[in-house]
Formats: sequence, C-alpha cells, structure tokens
Amino acid sequence: MENLRAGDLAIDLVQPLPTEPLRVVWSGKSSDRNPGAILDPFFQQLLSAAEHRRVPVQLRFEKLLHFNSSTIASLIQLIQDARQRRVELTVVFDRKLRWQQLSFDALRVFVGSDGLFTLRSVEEVP
Amino acid sequence: MNPPFSFTIDLPVRNDWANIDLVRTSILNCFAAVFNDLDGCHAFAMVAGELLENAIKYGDWHDSERPLHLRVWGEQHWANVQVENPVAPDSRALQDLMESLARLETFRSAEDAYRAKLLEVAAAPRDGSVGKLGLARIAYEGNCRLKAEVKEDVLSVTSHMTF
Repeated sequence: MENLRAGDLAIDLVQPLPTEPLRVVWSGKSSDRNPGAILDPFFQQLLSAAEHRRVPVQLRFEKLLHFNSSTIASLIQLIQDARQRRVELTVVFDRKLRWQQLSFDALRVFVGSDGLFTLRSVEEVP
Repeated sequence: MNPPFSFTIDLPVRNDWANIDLVRTSILNCFAAVFNDLDGCHAFAMVAGELLENAIKYGDWHDSERPLHLRVWGEQHWANVQVENPVAPDSRALQDLMESLARLETFRSAEDAYRAKLLEVAAAPRDGSVGKLGLARIAYEGNCRLKAEVKEDVLSVTSHMTF
C-alpha cells in the first residue's frame, strides 16, 4: 500500500514492526471539493491491510493544518466501515490546538462500548 | 483613550475552488498579524472557508463570470464574515440552506447541533445527500450565529462571532 499525495494533503503510512498498529500520519491540508473520491479508496485499502495483518489502525492528525467539513464526512464513513469490519481505529490529535480539540472531541459521539473506536490526544500516545 | 479599533476586508472572489484555500489562508495570515489569539484566527479562517465552499457548491453559476463576494469586518471583540453568491430564489439548494439554518436554532447549543449533524451524516446513504455539515461546524467551532438573506438573486450568509 502506498502513501497518498493529493494537492496539499499528504498521508504517510508507518509501521515499524508488523505487529504494531498501522500508523497513518496526516499532514498539510485537506480542502478538496470531493475528498471522498480520493480518500475512500485509500481507506478501503487501509482497512484491508489492517485486516490482513490483524493490527489496529492509528490515524494521526497532529501535523494536519486544516481540513474541510467534507473531509470530516469521509472520516465518519471510515469510522463506520472500520467498526463494521471489526478493525480497531484510534484517532490521535493535538488537544493544544483549539481547532483540533473542537473537531475531534465532537467525534466522541462515535465512541461505543465495543472499544473499536477511540480518541487520544498526542501526549497520551507514544 | 485608545483610538477606535476596526477592520474590513471586502473583495470579489472568482468562482474557482482553488481560490477558497487562497482566501482562507490569507485571512488566517491577516488576522494572525492583528490578533494574539491564533486559535481564534484559525476559527475565523475556517468560517470563511466553509462559507465560500457552500457558495461555490450551492450557488447559481449559470453565469460563470459572476464572482462571489467576501466581506469581513469587525472591532476589538466581535467580527462578521459574510459571503454573497448568486442564487436561484426558488431552488432546492436555497430551501435546504434555510432549513438547515432554522434547524440549528432548535438545539440547546451549537455543540448539540453539530453532534446531531455528525450522527445524521453517519446514518445517511453515501450519495452526498446529507450536506451542510459546514454550517453546523461554523456555529460550533467558530462559536458563530448565522443568518441568511436573499435580495433578488443574491444570497448573503453572515456569521457573527464574538471574542
């Protein structure tokens, strides 16, 4: 699976060891008119890779500068798909950045008792 | 006594998606030069970006030469961001916008409205039929009051923010 480059957005996959979570590092800006057209196929590959390797996915947003609401809608779909496919998904953000705190804290509505979706601020994870 | 503190940005913007991020980033940079609160500047730029996105997505662009119009004005403790675009007064897009704004007002808080919208997006079919997440985001993350007006074939959406 390859890293994603689309306009000002970069998404890099990092997995130091095969048993560790697939780390998906977002940087730059996601402001495409229809980000789902770019992100959805990438997310499907990501979930397939996580299923195949039997590891969780960790989405890291602390380096992201901006995303639009259409990107948030795509993320919501990823959260839904990961839950359906029983892939553990963690979103890591920087609580010190107010826009990230507001944007990501709101996603707590998707945290369920199944433990498949969690939110962490960057200082809480290695 | 301090001199009066006020600011105004008033410019036509060509209907081109690439211009949204140019304007959003420009506003971020301008306000970072004016205010100490960088988080507030981010919120302000996000509001402008989301309003411009809606204007381009849902405006009536059969005359592609017509620009949209951005105005930003305010004083020390408040600011308005307004985007104007051509609109078909009887269009479904305009009706949806007005309904979305009215619905925001029915919630106890902007946060409640935003969370409800997130759940609505999650439950919706993936055909893009549930839009206007940006309006709820503006109200919640931007801590803004939103209002919309139509005069002839021009829609203006204004967000009012206090800080």
